[in-house]
Amino acid sequence: MANKIDILGSAAAIAKGMGVTFKEMLSPTVTEYYPDEPAKFEERFRGVHVLQRDLNGMEKCVACFLCAAACPANCIYIEAAENTEQVRISGGERYAKVYNIDYNRCIFCGYCVEACPTDAITHGHGFEAASYNTSTLIKRKEDMLAPIPPGAHPPVVTPASPAAH
Amino acid sequence: MADLVKLTIDGREVQAAPGTLVIDAAKTVGIEIPAFCYYEGLSLAAACRMCLVEVEKMPKMMTACTLPVAEGMVVRTETPQVKAARKGTLEFLLTNHPLDCPVCDKGGECELQDMVFRYGAGESRYNETKIHVPEKQYSPVVFFDAPRCILCFRCIRTCNEGMGVGALGVINRGAVSEIAPSSGDHLECDECGACIDICPVGALTSGTYRYQTRPWEMTHVATICTHCADGCKTTLGTRNDRIIRGNNRDRSGINGEFLCIKGRYAFDFYDAGERLQAPLARVNGKLEEVSWSEALLLVAKRFNQVLADGGSFGVIGSNHTSNEENYYLQKFAREVLRTSHIDHHRTGDVVALVDALSGQTGKLATVADLYERKAVVVLGADLSLEHPLLSNQIRANWRHHQAHVYAVSAGTVREDKYAVASVRVGNAAETSDPSRFAHPQGKASAAEYLAALEQLRDKLKAEPELVMLFDDSFKGGDVRKLVEFGESLGIPVKYIGLVDYSNSRGAIDMGLTPELLPGYKASGQPGLHLEEMLAAELSALWVVGANPFQSGAARKAGFLVVQDMFLTETAALADVVLPAASAYEKNGTVTNVTGEVQKLKHAINTMGAKPDLEIMGFIAREMGVAGSLGPWIPDAVFDEIRKNVRGYEVPAPVIATGGAAQTAPVNGRVPVELRPDLVHSDHNGLFASGTLGRYSKVLHTVLESRLSR
Ligand code: SF4
Ligand code: SF4
Ligand code: SF4
Ligand code: SF4
Ligand code: SF4
Ligand code: FES
Repeated sequence: MANKIDILGSAAAIAKGMGVTFKEMLSPTVTEYYPDEPAKFEERFRGVHVLQRDLNGMEKCVACFLCAAACPANCIYIEAAENTEQVRISGGERYAKVYNIDYNRCIFCGYCVEACPTDAITHGHGFEAASYNTSTLIKRKEDMLAPIPPGAHPPVVTPASPAAH
Repeated sequence: MADLVKLTIDGREVQAAPGTLVIDAAKTVGIEIPAFCYYEGLSLAAACRMCLVEVEKMPKMMTACTLPVAEGMVVRTETPQVKAARKGTLEFLLTNHPLDCPVCDKGGECELQDMVFRYGAGESRYNETKIHVPEKQYSPVVFFDAPRCILCFRCIRTCNEGMGVGALGVINRGAVSEIAPSSGDHLECDECGACIDICPVGALTSGTYRYQTRPWEMTHVATICTHCADGCKTTLGTRNDRIIRGNNRDRSGINGEFLCIKGRYAFDFYDAGERLQAPLARVNGKLEEVSWSEALLLVAKRFNQVLADGGSFGVIGSNHTSNEENYYLQKFAREVLRTSHIDHHRTGDVVALVDALSGQTGKLATVADLYERKAVVVLGADLSLEHPLLSNQIRANWRHHQAHVYAVSAGTVREDKYAVASVRVGNAAETSDPSRFAHPQGKASAAEYLAALEQLRDKLKAEPELVMLFDDSFKGGDVRKLVEFGESLGIPVKYIGLVDYSNSRGAIDMGLTPELLPGYKASGQPGLHLEEMLAAELSALWVVGANPFQSGAARKAGFLVVQDMFLTETAALADVVLPAASAYEKNGTVTNVTGEVQKLKHAINTMGAKPDLEIMGFIAREMGVAGSLGPWIPDAVFDEIRKNVRGYEVPAPVIATGGAAQTAPVNGRVPVELRPDLVHSDHNGLFASGTLGRYSKVLHTVLESRLSR
């Protein structure tokens, strides 16, 4: 008696397992062929940061240092400067003359994005940051800035003295 | 003390002197009543309504900042009604306040931010368009952003009462009220920046600090201003070896929160393009950059050579370098170079004063005395331009204690406004000449001043006590006559002999004169004075932080070594120039005009420059004589000073923790013949500061804006 129940139970288990197998065989495949194909991301994946521009193509960052203050890894370094008639970089009074993120230390927590009052810093989907040379892991503003949106015409900038910095 | 008044605040028994304001009484038991317009030391405005409290038996809420305590008063500061009132006040303040915090200079240390965070509503009900007014520039250092202003009138009051200038006022009414200069579209003022500092929000901003950084990003180093002799403590905000701002918000130091334009802004000389950052040596008649080791070796070899040949040395010290540096320099000169040709530019006859006061103690006033003593006589100097802190102390004394001030001077001075007696003597400077801000020119002779004092004798006699300040109009025998006059009044009199620079006093105390050793001991070896050294054919002349050849004198010395920050007229003549660190780039102590010793703290580094003490130590090492001079570490040298220099037995912990301790020079006759002819003051006004002032961009900009009007 007990034997018969055992056999039936095993057969049910096999049938259940094979059921999953056959079902998956027929459903569409989810395997990603990275790096042969581009990687796919969830919308809110937190990758390498992007510094955004506004509709006019001006940088959104006003160098308020709040991201740097919020950063638990202390990896954001900013030097602020004032926008002038000649040099106008951001929409506010101040802009980030230097904006570095040290990806040796960044833990992709998103606190900076949370802190930013101007939505200037966002997480992009970049993730191929690995390097054999840690010094290349410090990204500068120029490495992270979003391109000027098509059709936007940021004011012409005549740097006061290009050699100064 | 009068009987204390008993009252209850939030259920707690409080005792306070009659006349105390409820807001202050609450503070004594740790209850904070929020306030914007109330500011200790200034008149009451009751403009902001932030401090409303409930008082039993009073029908409406009262402003705690104007309400004196009364017996049996029952005050409540945390009732729902009070909380609602605070919330309402903040909501009104924010109606036109822009959402500027991310770019506003005040963000992070803004009183409005803090108040809204603690007492404000979470969100705004105000959906209408806010009034916007573009930002205005009132002077090279003062900018005004009207929408951020909460109309607390602190700026107006600090300028009018604190500074005695009255350059700011309010125009228009209601929501469009604005703070504006009293003289149209620009400020005619001291450019002290006090209004910017005192502004609780970011409405007044500083031309030099604007948009540079945020407060929490800076390191704050409390050190001593290196400009005039008053010795204000300035807290420098630094980042990446750059000084970004100066202020003294924590009111530490002898100056409280006072600073003049030089302490607050004129630190910028350190960053001047002309700053020397590598040693220079004369090669084929031209100064060329060389390495430190080459330069030091060059100097050491030549010094040893002159020593071996039995040649003569001259040493000229500085009014700016620290006590340690001055002490080490004179020791170097006297013990190693075996010369008594050592001197510096004397800017006031302190020696004569110390001599005239021999046998008496406690006769030298401190900066605090000017705020506490009942009467003050100012002789000569235009104090508000030449000694801003001392002038501020006297003004505060008059405001808070109704002190009697006597102004005896050549031209009109700011003290006239509140002096009980102003006496004019000699020739006045042209008051409309804007350059007088750099160098007040009025002049009178000591005899004329003494005659004026005689006229005041009866009034002065009636005072309970007195402080007398005098400038370089009094030298030698005249100082003694002045002291005789003071002592003949029959009341306790204290004296301040004015000197020009941050360590002018220390230079004399440390024996940078041929006739006196440190602590006013006679050297017993006659040496050449500054002018004589320039004229003499010395084998080697060593100038540390001074510019004696500014007058255009021809160089006579066989070998000239100069330690300085800049290529001054003197440095340009040198064989070797060694780039020195500024006072903000080193440790040490300085002694101010009233003989108070304070500590310099190393705030930043400038590439290539070394502190003078280190340079001297390295020269000694290269010469092979370092052992006999002892370590060139500021703390070690200061220990030696405390042991060896009479009057400098000041308590080390006080100095080490950033306090000030007055030195008591000697207490006997200074055994030298006085040389009044060697004393002359530069009379630097508000916008000048000897060599340093020449390299300060802020001072130049301000002066130019003055001259162009
Ligand atoms: S990225 Fe945003 S938070 Fe960071 S400094 Fe710029 S504006 Fe401020
Ligand atoms: S004044 Fe204060 S509340 Fe207003 S923008 Fe500046 S930081 Fe923000
Ligand atoms: S800078 Fe000083 S003197 Fe000028 S307006 Fe402000 S407080 Fe008055
Ligand atoms: S400018 Fe500043 S200090 Fe002056 S009234 Fe406005 S908020 Fe007050
Ligand atoms: S009063 Fe003198 S010591 Fe004080 S800040 Fe001005 S220059 Fe500096
Ligand atoms: S602090 Fe009392 S009304 Fe402003």
